Amino acid sequence: MDSKEILKLEHTALNIRRNILRLIRAGKAGHVGGALSSVEIVTALYFNLLNIDPGNPKWPERDRFVLSAGHKCLVLYAALAERGFFDATILDTYGALDSPIPGHPNMHKLPGIETNTGALGHGLSIAGGMALGLKLDKSPAKVYVLMGDGELAEGSNWEAASAASMHKLDNMIVFVDRNKLQISGPTTEVMSYEPLDERWRSFGWGVRIIDGHDLELIIRNVKQAPIEKGKPSVLIADTLKSKGLSFAEGKVSYHYWKAKPEELEQAERDLDKIEKQLKAKMEGTGL
Amino acid sequence: MINELKDPRKIFGEAVLEAAGSNQNIVVLSADSSSGSGLGDFLKKFPDRHFEFGIMEQGVVGFASGLATTGKIPVFAAIAPFVTARPFEMFRNDLGYMNQNVKVVGRCASLTYDQLGSTHHSIDDVAIIRTIPGVTIINPGDPVTIRKAVHAMIKHVGPCYMKIGSPKMPVLYEEDVDFNLGKGIVIKDGSDVTLIGTGTVLSKAVAAAKLLEESGVSVRLIDIHTIKPLDRELILSAARETGRIVTVEEHFIAGGLGSAIAELCSQEHPVKMKMIGIGDFYASNGPYEELLGKYGLQPDQIKETVIKFLKNK
Repeated sequence: MDSKEILKLEHTALNIRRNILRLIRAGKAGHVGGALSSVEIVTALYFNLLNIDPGNPKWPERDRFVLSAGHKCLVLYAALAERGFFDATILDTYGALDSPIPGHPNMHKLPGIETNTGALGHGLSIAGGMALGLKLDKSPAKVYVLMGDGELAEGSNWEAASAASMHKLDNMIVFVDRNKLQISGPTTEVMSYEPLDERWRSFGWGVRIIDGHDLELIIRNVKQAPIEKGKPSVLIADTLKSKGLSFAEGKVSYHYWKAKPEELEQAERDLDKIEKQLKAKMEGTGL
Repeated sequence: MINELKDPRKIFGEAVLEAAGSNQNIVVLSADSSSGSGLGDFLKKFPDRHFEFGIMEQGVVGFASGLATTGKIPVFAAIAPFVTARPFEMFRNDLGYMNQNVKVVGRCASLTYDQLGSTHHSIDDVAIIRTIPGVTIINPGDPVTIRKAVHAMIKHVGPCYMKIGSPKMPVLYEEDVDFNLGKGIVIKDGSDVTLIGTGTVLSKAVAAAKLLEESGVSVRLIDIHTIKPLDRELILSAARETGRIVTVEEHFIAGGLGSAIAELCSQEHPVKMKMIGIGDFYASNGPYEELLGKYGLQPDQIKETVIKFLKNK
């Protein structure tokens, strides 16, 4: 991919982080850690990879995106608004009574949301059903899933993992946002999933481990899927929880952030700094 | 033929096969459960529309939800507690909350897995599934209405839970009986008391009503095959016109058909009620008919309960 395209996507990722901040400002709190760690994955999907039409969100041939870790919904709302599925002013309703953007996504309230997730361990099997249905229809559409690494302790995921490989659902591409932290601490200390790549491989999946903040790498690996012929693919994306906020990065206490005013100000300064660096990189590229 | 004994699972499987012949969207999902659900012939006739998952009911419910998003009509049948109590959260979120057009069928339901004990009994399924908004609950009481219920369930757009038993059951209706989801069937009119039955013990209520008539009690007998949505008008008119209601079900008294009717009547037209069902304990194990007798669900016992209830002014 040409570097100009990547720079543009980096700028989109920054806008999505700004939208996440906008949501937090409206709702005063939210699951920010896992939303920020998966910004690049979601940016790559919604601004490069997904075959979707914001003007026709139910188009039957569309690619599907299932947010299995429903608490990461801030990144989904932020990306959908940025992509034009709905007006960005909706982001300002976060936390309000009857808001169309609840703390876990509801497909009946907004266009572009494919599933009602929030209870962990549901998304992979729903996505598997979508992938199976699309295959039955001989559709070229793909099904993408974003899971958290803490979520992997739910046994239902491994039911779905078995079934997806047994039914040869090579139109499924799963991201595990491995930010390595969950509410009670480091994920491998709470309930270890290691060796994670071998675990998925033993369930019959094609597996790669990538840097989950590297947009070029994310896109290149997805375009090479299926990683193994006839198998579903999983990209274990190593990420940093709360990526982009200097005071919160890698800290478990920001899994759910009750934002103090001074933290919001610092967050703005952090994103301004990223913008400045990006502009410097863009200089002379014609962007 | 009335009173002829027929296998409910066989009838169910035949009806799904009939529906699938004219509706290409019907797919069957199995948790190592199709052959025991009367769906063995579906696998033979439509192998490309039958998907085996092994024993993973939570996963199957999720897959069914995803399949429904692509316009398929998944039918998932297995032993009743394993499609209700076990994957309850998947049923609630992936089918109910997402409003998916999936048909879940609990077979060998209620006490019909008799000697297999409480892990395999399903006397709480109506109670728990009834709490999920938008799910239609169907509990047909004879082979004729099982067949009709399958076709009605497929035609209905939305999540459904249907329960059927295991042993052969008597035909209670003529083939041309009018069957509509959400509409109860008045089997016979009467004025002293309304007896309301459902599912596997409907035939016991029918026999009890006959015994009561012979004892001079005028019984209005109603089959509530659709427990949700409830036929409010039919039940309320029975409450108004007979003043007393007795419910008969092979289910916990907590949360079942009797509860649903009490929720309605207590608010709209309070009447004296008696609920015949299983109390707050784990049901025992043993031969099916003997188990029903242990819990007061045989016709002569139902009759005695009704007579005692009517004496209690």
